Amino acid sequence: MTIATTALKLSTSVIPAELHDEAEQSFEAVYLDPTQINFRYEGENLTLTMPDGSYFPRVTLRRCFPLSTNGMYVTVRTPDTEQDRGIEIGIINGIEKLTPESLGALSGELKLHYFVPVIKKVYKVYEEYGFITWKVLTDRGDKEFTMRDNVISTTRQISTTRWLLIDINQARYEINDDGTLDDRSRSLMIRHLLL
Amino acid sequence: MDQPCEEKFDNQDHLKIELPEDIRKLLDTLGEPEERVRVALATDMSAEGVYGEQWLLIDPCALRVFTSENGSSSQRISIQLDKIDDAQIEQCVGNGLLNVSIDGKPQVLLHFSNELTERFALVATYLRHRKENDKLPDFKSDGKRCVACGRRLLDPSMKVCPSCIKREQVLNRLLQLARPYWGVGLIQILLMTAGLGVDLLPPYLTRTLIDQVLTTNAHRDWLIWLVGALLGLQIIRVGLTIGTNVLTNRISTQFTTGVREKMFKHLGTLSLDFFDRNDIGRLLTRINQDTEELQGLINQMASFVLYIMLIIGIGFVLFSMDPTLGLCVLIPAPFVFIATFFYQKYMRPYWRRFWNARWRLNSMLNTFLSGIQVVKAFAQEGQEEDRYHDRNHKVLEARLRVDQAWGKFFPIISFAFGAGGLIIWYAGGHAVLDHRISLGTLMAFLSYLGMFYGPLSSLAQLSQTWNRFTTIAQRTFEFLDETPMVLETAHPVLRPSVEGRIEFDHVSFGYDPYFPVLKDVSFTIQPGEMVGIVGSSGAGKTTLVNMISRFYDANHGSVQIDDVDVRDVPMEELRKNIGVVLQTPFLFRGTLAQNIAYAKPDAPLDEIIRSAKAANAHDFIINMPEGYDTIVGEGGAGLSGGERQRISIARAILLNPKILILDEATSSVDTETERQIQKALEILVKGRTTIAIAHRLSTLYNANRIIALERGRVIEIGTPEQLVEQKGVFYKLVQMQTQFARLDGVVPL
Repeated sequence: MTIATTALKLSTSVIPAELHDEAEQSFEAVYLDPTQINFRYEGENLTLTMPDGSYFPRVTLRRCFPLSTNGMYVTVRTPDTEQDRGIEIGIINGIEKLTPESLGALSGELKLHYFVPVIKKVYKVYEEYGFITWKVLTDRGDKEFTMRDNVISTTRQISTTRWLLIDINQARYEINDDGTLDDRSRSLMIRHLLL
Repeated sequence: MDQPCEEKFDNQDHLKIELPEDIRKLLDTLGEPEERVRVALATDMSAEGVYGEQWLLIDPCALRVFTSENGSSSQRISIQLDKIDDAQIEQCVGNGLLNVSIDGKPQVLLHFSNELTERFALVATYLRHRKENDKLPDFKSDGKRCVACGRRLLDPSMKVCPSCIKREQVLNRLLQLARPYWGVGLIQILLMTAGLGVDLLPPYLTRTLIDQVLTTNAHRDWLIWLVGALLGLQIIRVGLTIGTNVLTNRISTQFTTGVREKMFKHLGTLSLDFFDRNDIGRLLTRINQDTEELQGLINQMASFVLYIMLIIGIGFVLFSMDPTLGLCVLIPAPFVFIATFFYQKYMRPYWRRFWNARWRLNSMLNTFLSGIQVVKAFAQEGQEEDRYHDRNHKVLEARLRVDQAWGKFFPIISFAFGAGGLIIWYAGGHAVLDHRISLGTLMAFLSYLGMFYGPLSSLAQLSQTWNRFTTIAQRTFEFLDETPMVLETAHPVLRPSVEGRIEFDHVSFGYDPYFPVLKDVSFTIQPGEMVGIVGSSGAGKTTLVNMISRFYDANHGSVQIDDVDVRDVPMEELRKNIGVVLQTPFLFRGTLAQNIAYAKPDAPLDEIIRSAKAANAHDFIINMPEGYDTIVGEGGAGLSGGERQRISIARAILLNPKILILDEATSSVDTETERQIQKALEILVKGRTTIAIAHRLSTLYNANRIIALERGRVIEIGTPEQLVEQKGVFYKLVQMQTQFARLDGVVPL
């Protein structure tokens, strides 16, 4: 028997209904009610308890718009494994409505997942052999990093005062020129990022 | 210890890292001797997500995570190694995490920044395979490191970091490579020296002119001769300049053309893994841009040689004419040098800003033009206009800033140049008035001065140019030194004919050995059998067929054809027996006949027609005005997708291979074309071992067996009927496609 005929045979007998539902479901975003769910750390795992009591021993978070919004559209997923890609449990729109404990746990996890230090002060910058090395103070501590000097591909402007720098390890750093940067830092930034 | 565990390690493979005092103390209080620690790795992130330190320690029994803060440390996690059944790293943004599973439950251990990803990937691999293989990985092998100093490379496409390049060696090698041009080079140097002499003579003559003719009026008749000599020198100078320019350009052009050809030839010998590691853009840069830049730099280096000769020559003449005045000339020299240096540093960012802005403007225009239909369809001309306006104004701004910066800098540079002249006017004026030198000598001095500062300021760029020159040369040499991973065997097994039996014997393979794509794959395909391979994208289907053509070698296990390991067969012999039809057929620029006979350029014309007929391509070909002589553009421009595919099938038929690989051969064409291609394939697969990868099951409708892959493992194998009965992956696939077919109205409800 060939596959085509097998397929034909099968088509008369199988389960269109659930497949149909499944397909439809995957197009519809599920929003979680922040007041009804609970996040908690167990060891280093972020766990989630749903309103119906179902429990996830580990969930991961993704921001849908990591640059343009802060507390909106955070999706909650089961972690990817070697066998399967994780599935989306739902989206939280407005994390501030979570209980304080949940919010604390969720913010901690977001801070870990999105390790994007914000540069507060530029100590020193030097360019050598086609690379720019920055010595900076960030909101997560002191750091020295190196990026290619091709600023077109390594620097991204987010808004008129915000920039994202991408270093050679694909690590990201944010610069926010909202008036908190000192003059020296600003002039170094303008000079080396060719702003 | 609740569980005794074997100490089967030897102390040799410790990762030698000096543990900090507080971690040592903590180990001590926990009663763990430091010598038992096999792996000690520090992260650069604290548990709170700021820069900090945590330590991962593995001894023969347990894995521990210690945090270390302000000199005090505590144990966060301790897990018995035997309880860990799996370990993996997960990529987050800017960092990653190490995650183990204990009794099937996930447990996050720690986070680390991207810099340390490879290192912790090694830990995960070690933990995963610890039970079968307790050998510790080489933690020093994380990422690409400079072969000279061992630091991580900023530019992973090179083997050494720029500061470690042995520049003399590179120059030496360049000179060796340029051996055919040594003769011309020598003539070039002679011409340059002659040119130097010609440059130095005119001020001497003008001195005589002023001192002997103009001021004393003693030798009025010399005037015509002196002016004539000056004219003669100028004419000679023109000749010499033309000669040197022609020669310099000829040497650099011929040399770089040779290098480019060498690189292209080398490119063909490299195996596919090289092309995976280096994207096309980067290779294009290497071969086109780098050689072009090398050419420019050779010219520049030649002019540096000339400048140095000129400076030495003028310096010598100046000092021999009047040592004191010669010293005066040197006074502004450092200023000229420094001014030029700062000019470079100060002006470069302005120029780069301008170039970037212009590039952005051009690329916007480019996008606009290629997407004009979309712009019009969505009526967004206004938005695009605004965008162009913004970018155009950025270019204007950047240009204005360049001009302003230049406007500020130019007077300073001119001053530095001009100041030298004033010093000579003053000091030389005194000397003339004191009758120490003649007026002619002073005038000669001033002329030499004009020739002196120009080259001097150019020399301020020497070190930069020199670094760039040697870096590019080094990069070129590294490319030429690249050795293919898949090597020709030293003792080939030659067979008179191939039957086409394919066997995979416990094959594991990963493009990066730590992330296997194929895991322990075993199966046998009999001669003449048609086997379909199914699986979701990323399951390893293409990788699997690539192993047969030996585009890559297995990390473990072996691939055999007729019981001979493919590694023991000469590459050309092997690939002659394997025909490949890819998802996106690739046609080269040339006639259709040339494209069909690509693998066998000397094929007789009747054979080409026969293959085209078998591939169901003959009819459309002869209906073209130029028939088989029709020229197709790059990538097959001018033909439809189905036509291109049939040409590539004809190409495979002409080769008459024993083994045929169809990698999604019909997935990018419409149903009618697929039917035509299908007919062509039916003829093609007869009497050959065929492996067909397909998303559309219709391609596999006469397959004898199906292999289903999932995440690099064979999960189902059998006849289509058997697999449907098993109700596994294949069954699901059949179901889904029937669903789609029904939506299309292909299958009646």
